[in-house]
This record gives sequence, structure tokens and C-alpha cells, in this order.
Amino acid sequence: MNIEDIQQYLPKNVKVEICGNIAFFEVPALHIKEIATNLHANKNLPLHLITATDERAEKEGFKIWYVFGISKKNMFVVPFIRLQNTVTFPSLTPAIHSACNFEKKIHTFFGLTPVLHPDLRPIILHENWPANLFPLRKDFDWQTKVKEIHGTYQFQKVEGEGIYEIPVGPIHAGIIEPGHFRFSVAGEEIMLLEAKLGFVHKGSEKLFETLPLSNKLRLCEKISGDSSFSHSLAFCQAAEQLSDALPPKRALYLRVIYAELERLANHFGDIGAIMIDTGFNFGGANGARLREMIMQINERLTKSRFLRNVNTIGGVTKDINAKEIIVLGKDLEKIQKDFFEIIAIAQNSASLLNRLKGTGVLLPKTAKDYGALGVAAKAVGILSDIRVDFPYAAYDELGFNTIETESGGDVYARFRVRVKEVYASMNLIQNALTKLPKGPILTPRNTTVFKKNALAIGMVEGWRGQIIYVITTDLAGNISRVAPCDPSFLNWSLVGEAGPLNVVPDFPLINKSFNLSYSGNDL
Amino acid sequence: MFIDIIIWIIQIILVPAVAPLCVGIIRKIKAKLQNRQGAGIFQPYQDLWKLFHKDEVISKDASWIFRCAPYIVFTVTIIIGASIPLFASFINNTVTGDLLIIIYTLAIGTFFLALAGIDTGSAFGGFGSSREMTVAALAEGGFIFSLLTVALISGSTNVFTISQTGLLYQSQYLLSGTLAFFGFFIVLLAETARFPFDNPATHLELTMIHEAMILEYSGKKLALMEWASANKLLIFIALASNLFFPLGIAQSAGISAVMLGMVIFMIKIVIFCLVIAVLESSIAKFRFFRLPDLLIIAFIFNVVAIILIH
Repeated sequence: MNIEDIQQYLPKNVKVEICGNIAFFEVPALHIKEIATNLHANKNLPLHLITATDERAEKEGFKIWYVFGISKKNMFVVPFIRLQNTVTFPSLTPAIHSACNFEKKIHTFFGLTPVLHPDLRPIILHENWPANLFPLRKDFDWQTKVKEIHGTYQFQKVEGEGIYEIPVGPIHAGIIEPGHFRFSVAGEEIMLLEAKLGFVHKGSEKLFETLPLSNKLRLCEKISGDSSFSHSLAFCQAAEQLSDALPPKRALYLRVIYAELERLANHFGDIGAIMIDTGFNFGGANGARLREMIMQINERLTKSRFLRNVNTIGGVTKDINAKEIIVLGKDLEKIQKDFFEIIAIAQNSASLLNRLKGTGVLLPKTAKDYGALGVAAKAVGILSDIRVDFPYAAYDELGFNTIETESGGDVYARFRVRVKEVYASMNLIQNALTKLPKGPILTPRNTTVFKKNALAIGMVEGWRGQIIYVITTDLAGNISRVAPCDPSFLNWSLVGEAGPLNVVPDFPLINKSFNLSYSGNDL
Repeated sequence: MFIDIIIWIIQIILVPAVAPLCVGIIRKIKAKLQNRQGAGIFQPYQDLWKLFHKDEVISKDASWIFRCAPYIVFTVTIIIGASIPLFASFINNTVTGDLLIIIYTLAIGTFFLALAGIDTGSAFGGFGSSREMTVAALAEGGFIFSLLTVALISGSTNVFTISQTGLLYQSQYLLSGTLAFFGFFIVLLAETARFPFDNPATHLELTMIHEAMILEYSGKKLALMEWASANKLLIFIALASNLFFPLGIAQSAGISAVMLGMVIFMIKIVIFCLVIAVLESSIAKFRFFRLPDLLIIAFIFNVVAIILIH
């Protein structure tokens, strides 16, 4: 990486360290707000992640990292601040709204307080968790049995004549993930909607610190089960940056094929589920059928319906042979034809379109402020797709450069984005199958030790949106912290914004059109 | 008189005995239309059997209304089932066979169902009841006026007499009869919690109407509630088929006429189930605030039908 390329993004008088495609530098805590706002607002860099590390054992105190990416160049500018002898730091939230949840999370899990943050209620951890225990500090043993306290969570209140509250969940009538939603309603119209999640918190980030490397990889696949491949891919890409095991070409193409198969399966499932939530049973049944066809292809190719155990550091473990390439190409053609017919019927149903259009409208400004990712962002016309902005695997070589967008921001727009992405994914897979280069699929790696005292970032466009993994290593070259972030973490706030002014019976449909992961949010 | 009592007894048994089958048939046809195998048409009987053998959980906040409502709701459907023509129109029922009695006895069931929904104080029951009452109040106009149309045509408010005269076939009443039927059919869908008003198959608690009201029930009481709603479906199908299409109904007390009446009644049930299933497979559920439009259409159909009678 060339320092000139990023010179314009660096403040003066800082000591910049380069690690792969990352430039990181320490800035005084007092200046971070000014520097971050400059990068975000003036230089237009997206803020991908804010996370903290506990390096008190190395006498380095706590560090807070602010990850900014330079799109098209595939480079990252990462200013960090160091907190020695203090547990407070200036909050970015008043200036950059998308920092809100990241700072809340640091507050809850590290016990570091962002000063002037507007909302410091705990996030993810249950109200029965003691307020003075911070699970991501290194001196917190992961096996600690925690004494239950009986706290309360303060929901926002709407008052006025005829306003009442509907508490929904965390246990639902259907078999879905647990989450609590608090509706303040006037008649059937939603006035305020607040989601409280965290019911599937599994301590994944803490587990990343204790599990051996091979199990870290398995753990990634379980962060959000429906995005197993994308999560493990993001982790592997970060780990590959830290070692010299860069995957061979064939593996990069295979990764594209598997990742797009995952996208296809989930988009089919979502398109069907959106239709079934309106009661349009024909579309629902067919969405489920197409998803199943892809899942069976996955199983045939990799012995795993969710593409687990496929990614590994240095490549992939499952190849696609010449015969399978032809069969897969034909299967996909058939599925594409089916899909085309189903969508044609759906688009002709006035009752279906009436339910989808104008429901759950998200305004572009709101989406931008919250740092919307993936399908939700594309549905308001935001051009963001990691496959194009920070190309990885073989997306660059396959000439993938179109981001499918819509402008409505309603359920229909999110439905259409998925439909368009299905066609794009089909083309990508066919393209990758014809251009699949020969050669090995795995670069063997003999050591489990990585570059010492380093930082690496892996970013992938999962089917929901951007998945990012930040990995740091200690002085011995062991992984000291893994900070995963599923797009759900930022997008959950959007569901709360898209709900109000709709009627209560439309909320499940709005929620389904986002289809966010509870597990990926709760970690 | 003796034959009347026999028919009465048969009807009291027939409605609860056949009603779950209607639900089973609709589900089976829906499954087939979605390329699924689906459960057998007798599954609802097995579900009821299962529920009757389960223990119940009753909220400690529940009052006597919650405990009594299933019996009231179920009894109402049995009484109405015996008070309308199913397969024979010759019996002389002047007590409960009046259409206003039928409409408002059914309303007692709806009333207690809605009360039971509110009774436990759960949020879902509350909005389920609120929605049910909104729909029921708006459907009532269409319901009364559609039956009034056929009553005016037949010159009697007794449903057996209406069914017996079958004046709808005369060409000067064809248009009013058709309009009244469509109005009634919309009411049928609303009252029996079917598409596009309600989705009987949904698991999304926030979208439910009927299911939200009975969400707190379990075990035997849930079985009674489910059974009563199946009965209600059969009652509306019977009213639609025998008031508007009385063809084939037994008009005299012969064994062969009654047997034929029963067979034809079964055929009519299957046809209505088919129509409902096709409808549920081909359209999406309407938004809640569009439902009043549909119910007002039903009302207007019937008003026009009455105007056209003379």
C-alpha cells in the first residue's frame, strides 16, 4: 500500500503504521471527534465499525478503533484513541448518528463511557445482568457465573389520549427468533416502535478469545446461521491478511459461486416469505420451493445445506468438478425460468402489490443517518455494495460492477431489490462457472501464528448486507480480539423508523421485508 | 311434528359432525393448489381429539367470562345449526327459524367471543376483540340486508319458508337475488374469519383477528372454540346454499327426498369449500383499513337488491 494514496485522509503530525491495506494511527482522545467528522462528512468515507480492545495487560490501556473505508481503493483508514487511567471518551454520536449503537455496545461490554451520548441504556445484555460487570474486558473470565439482579429496562413512552402499548415477544406465536417489540399505538396506527433485542446473546465475542483457531472458524459460521458462508468468508479474508496464505485463483472463483448460492437461497426464501406474510400463498409456497432447490444443490456440492465447513484460511475445502459445473449450470437455468414465471404472476396480483406498495416507507435521509446497509439501503437508492466498493474474491475479475437499487424505500422496493439481485446472482454464478480457472483450491498453511501486533479487516457483502470482521493480534501473533458485525446491528434501528404511521397488522410484513438476524445482532 | 323432531335431532348432530370436515377440505384443496401434499381431510377431527385430551392453562387474571365463553359460543352454533334448513325445508320451525333471531343469536356468540378475548388482559386478545367488533359491526348491515332481500322476495322472514318457496329462480328476481348473494358471500368471508379479512393459517400474532381472540385458550376450551368456528363456517355455507340456491333440498318428508337432500347438501358444501380455497390461494389478504370498504360494498349490493325487487 502506498502512503501517497491515503495522504489526503490523514491528519498532520500523526505517526501512521501500515498493516496490509490498513493505515492506523493514534490520535488524542480530545481530537477524535474532529478527525472522525472530517473523514466522514468532508472526505465522505463510510464509518464501518467502532470497536474497542482491552490491552491493559500490555500496559496499553483500552483502545477504541474507528474503521473508515476508502471505497474502490480497498483501503482503510483507522484512527484509534487510547484510554489510560480513564474510562470515558468523547462520543461521536451527536455528530455521526450511525456511531450510536457501536458506542452503546462499547459502553455495555467494556464499561467505557462515551461522554455526551444521548442514550446510554444498555444494549444486548439483559436487564438482569449486573451493571458493573463488563464481559469483554480481559479480566472477565468467560465461565463466570453471574448473579442475577432484577433491573428494569426503560422503554420510551408516548402519552396522550387513546394511546396504549402493545408488548410483543420475545416469545412469538410462530417459530422465529426471539425479540421484544414495544408498540405505542393509537387505534391501529403505530406511533412509536422500539425493539429490544439481546435474547439470543451467546457471548460469541468472548468465545472468540478462548476458542482455538479451527473452532473460531466454526463459530463464525454460527454467528448468523443463514449467512454461514459470508461470515466465515469475512473471517477468513481477515485472517488471510494476517498470514501469507493467500488463496489460489480457483478458490476465489469458488467463493463467488458459494457466496452467490447462499444469496440465492436466502433471497428466494425472503421473497416467498414476504408474499406469504401478505397471505399470497401461491408465491409463498413457490419461494420456499426454490429455496429448497438451492439448499439441495448446496448439500450436493459441499455436504452442507448451509455451506458450512467450506471456507478455510487459505482457500476452500470443497471443489466443483467438471461434470458438476454442467449440471449446476443447467439446474440454475431451470430455476431461473421458474422464478421468472412466479414473479410474473406475483406482479400481476393487484391484491399483493397493494399490500407491498407504500408500506413501511423508509426515508433516504433516515437510512443515511443510521448507516443503512444492504437490501434496506439499496431500496432507498443508496449505492453501497461491498462486492463493488471493496471487491474481494473474484468479483473484480468477473467484471461485477452493477448495484441493483430501487427508490421507493417501501416493502415493495425491498422486494424488488431482492428480485433484481437474484437475476444478478444467477448471471454471476454462470459467469464464474464458465471462467473457473484450473489449479489448487487451497494454499496450505503450516503455522497457527499470525503477524504480530497487527490489525486486519475482512469485509463481505452477505445477502443482508455488509459483514465486517476486525481481527487484532497480540505481541506473540495470537488472535487477541475478533470483532464481528452483522448488518443487522445497524439495520435494526431502521425497522423502528419504518414502523410508525403504519397499522399494526402490517408490521410483520415490514419486519419480514428487512428480515434481519437476531442472532447476528445479539452475538 | 314427529318428523320435525327427528330432523331437528339429525341437524343438532349433523352440524358439529360435518363442520370440521369443511375445514379439512378447504385446507386440503389449499395445499393441493400450492403443490403440497397437505394433511388428510379428517385432520381437524384428530386435532380436536388431541385438544380434548390436553390439560389447560388458564391465566390467573381470567374471570368467569373466560371460562364460560367457549360453552356459550359453541352452544350458540349448535342452536343455530338446528334452526336453519340444511337438507330439508319442509319442517315447521316458527320459534328460532326467524332470520332476525338467527342473526342476533349468532351475534351473542361473537359478543362473548370478543369479551373472552379482552378478559385475560393480554394485548393480543384486546386488539383481536377490537378488530372483531369493528368487522362484525360493519358486516351486520350487509348480513341483515342480504337476508332481508330474500325475505322480501319470499314474503316471509322464516328461513324454512324462504328455502321452501325458492322464488329466487323467477326471472324478475334474478338480479336482486344475485346481488344479494354476492353481498352475503362477502359477509360470509368476514364472519367466518376468511380471506381477505383474516388469515386462518397465519402464525403472525399481530395480524390476527379471530386467532388473536382465542390465543389465550388451550386444551378442551380451545377445542370448543375451534369447533365452534368450524360450525359457524358450516352455518354460513348452509345459509348461502339453501337460501340462495335451494335446489335439491328435501321439500317433503319422504326418505328418498331426505337422502337426496343430504347428498346434495354435501355437494354444495364441497363447492363452497372449493370456492373459498381457490380465493384464499389466489389473493393476498387486504389491509385492515380497506376491510370497511369491502363490507360497505356488501351493504350497497344488498340495498340495490332490495330496490330492484319491485
